[in-house]
Amino acid sequence: MSGGLAVGQQTAPAARRSRLSPMTYALIALGALLVLSAVRVITGAGDLTSTGSVQAALTAAVPIAMAALAGLWAERAGVINIGLEGMMVLGTFGAGYAGYQWGPWAGVVFGLLLGVLGGLLHAVATVTFGVDHIISGVAINLLAPGAALFLSKQFFADAAGGGQKQSPRIQDAEKVSVPGLPDLLGSIEDKRWFFVSDLAGILRGLTTQVSLLTVLAAVLIAGSAFVLWKTPLGLRLRSCGEAPVAAESLGVNVYKYKYLAVTASGAFAGLGGAILAVTSGQFRDGQTGGRGFIGLAAMIFGNWRPGGLATGAGLFGYTDALALRGSLAVHALLLLLAIALVVVAVWQYREGAPVLSAVSAAIGVLFAWWYFTSDGIPPELVGAAPYVVTILVLALASQRLRAPRAVGEVYRRGEGK
Amino acid sequence: MRRMRGVRLAAGLFALGIGLASCASDTQPGGDGGTSGAPAPSTVKVGLAYDIGGRGDQSFNDSAARGLDKAKSEFGVEVTELEAAQGETDAQKEDRLRQLAESGHNVIIAVGFAYEKALSAAAADYPEAKFAIIDSAAPEAANVANLTFAEHEGSFLVGVVAGLKSKTGNVGFIGGVNTPLIQKFEVGFEQGVKAVKPDATVQVKYLTQPPDFTGFNDPAKGTTAANGMLDAGADVIYPAAGGSGAGAFEAAKAKGAMGIGVDSDQYNLPALANVKDVIITSMVKNVDVAVYDFIKAVKDGQFKSGLQVYDLASGGVSFATSGGKIDDIVPQVEEYKEKIVSGEIQVKDTK
Repeated sequence: MSGGLAVGQQTAPAARRSRLSPMTYALIALGALLVLSAVRVITGAGDLTSTGSVQAALTAAVPIAMAALAGLWAERAGVINIGLEGMMVLGTFGAGYAGYQWGPWAGVVFGLLLGVLGGLLHAVATVTFGVDHIISGVAINLLAPGAALFLSKQFFADAAGGGQKQSPRIQDAEKVSVPGLPDLLGSIEDKRWFFVSDLAGILRGLTTQVSLLTVLAAVLIAGSAFVLWKTPLGLRLRSCGEAPVAAESLGVNVYKYKYLAVTASGAFAGLGGAILAVTSGQFRDGQTGGRGFIGLAAMIFGNWRPGGLATGAGLFGYTDALALRGSLAVHALLLLLAIALVVVAVWQYREGAPVLSAVSAAIGVLFAWWYFTSDGIPPELVGAAPYVVTILVLALASQRLRAPRAVGEVYRRGEGK
Repeated sequence: MRRMRGVRLAAGLFALGIGLASCASDTQPGGDGGTSGAPAPSTVKVGLAYDIGGRGDQSFNDSAARGLDKAKSEFGVEVTELEAAQGETDAQKEDRLRQLAESGHNVIIAVGFAYEKALSAAAADYPEAKFAIIDSAAPEAANVANLTFAEHEGSFLVGVVAGLKSKTGNVGFIGGVNTPLIQKFEVGFEQGVKAVKPDATVQVKYLTQPPDFTGFNDPAKGTTAANGMLDAGADVIYPAAGGSGAGAFEAAKAKGAMGIGVDSDQYNLPALANVKDVIITSMVKNVDVAVYDFIKAVKDGQFKSGLQVYDLASGGVSFATSGGKIDDIVPQVEEYKEKIVSGEIQVKDTK
């Protein structure tokens, strides 16, 4: 076991960099909330911090977060999983098939199992046969929607309320609220006080009518962080993604850990698809709509870490929810983005990156100018908001990203140099 | 060598994936047996190509399927149905139409404006076959009939219903994808609402922008958009968004609001049975009538090319009263219907 420990530390240069303390994170969150409140007051876009927005953001973020978590497991073990989208599709079908007959939780389990099948297929191709990871992933993305559609015609075409491309209705999972809190917070939110009401709105969104599936997702993200970073199993798994040959020389069965990781990846992706189908109330052909790829992006933005990917998925879910709920909040988002970019500019300048700082500042000023000279955003651009925000943040944060060192490389036992 | 094997496996997976995808999306046409050449004029062989969603979508395509089924049982014509796949190209659509024409179908119906370009190209090469396209006026040829609907007129009527039934004076319209066709629903609806409540607010949201057509197929987005409108004070939601509409009705049900169905009489659809309480009316678009009429016309030798508009006057669009939730205001709505039919009220169809 001590050998395994040494592997992880020696080959991970990121460990050298001092991590931010929890206190710093809390301060950043507090600052972000203050800015958010200020923007809400200035623009009058109450939707920025309303209960409904936060709830919608959570619902939108969960399938993406699960896809991102799936990507994390695979890539930490050195396997690129671009087949997330396909595995999610399998999950949506599984949830549709079991969900309408035996309830939402059976659907979730069945979707997860189908995801495992997809993961196993990817593992067989990439680990056992050494297929290029991208090729295998693309093959799964082509195979899965076809298979799901074929199966859906077999099982749903004649079911009551179903069709060739959609399942009958699935009951939604239970929703829970923290007792007593919603009313109290709701009355504070209605006061429209600076900061206090915003905080109440966000807290109310996080504690009212939360689907148990969302709770499950949160537990899984925290659980993954624990397993991957605090247990010997996690350490060995990550060592396979950093330096598989070194891990092998220390007695780690790299194939076994890669299989484990990619299968778990399939399970999480399948779960993400299943959650999407259950919260949508049915399986539909083409329902995932690229969420698997967005999850992959959220994981990269999250620097291959659970907390980061949750932030990325949350950011995307939040902007997506704002864009769908109304145009006023998206207009306010311009100002928010402008302020955020200026903050990034100052921070980058102090970090000694004047060029990046200038670029951030310029884009920030541009957004501010756009905000103050317009009354709204054309509807054609509103739908693009989640992507623009995510890409901007991704581009400016990517300066500090570090992928697992051996990710995407084909590993063969006993062939290390 | 090992590496080669891997590549071969990947290639195999690819082939399997593509094979499965294509066999899942296309039912093989019935008359494969080399019956090319001009068919006898007395036999009518109908080929119908669905839009995304296909038979069983509980909406637009199902309506076309009903018309086809009726023609089949009444005239005993031979029919072939082909389905579209998500995210396919115009070339794939064109192939589908050519496949039908090549296998001896002389009546070919393309369901949905997405076939616009494909049909123009295919129809030119098969002058003997009679083509029809639903919802598009664009392809013009001597053997093409354009079956379009006055959705704006039907939407005006459900807009009147929304205006009369709304207590907050605030209603919402959710479009699936921001296309000119769906904008017809929006402008008609808004005009209808304003006709009875000039100071009412109409919130408008399109789920996606073309070429992203997932907005017709994403109930989760429908729920989010509807919740946003309901939180902003709306109490009636009209989703013209295909499968995403189900999500909007769920949201309306959870918040005790009202919803308006589209294309079919959605109150009576089994897939929406759990939310039928909130569906007060539906803007019914009788695609089945258009499909049936077209087949009948060709069979009787009465084929007419060019634009045929199914409007309120001809019964091509209407509003549904199933569930009895608008019984108290039906006379008022009928009044507006008369005014539109007589031409007293002109309903706009573009912004």
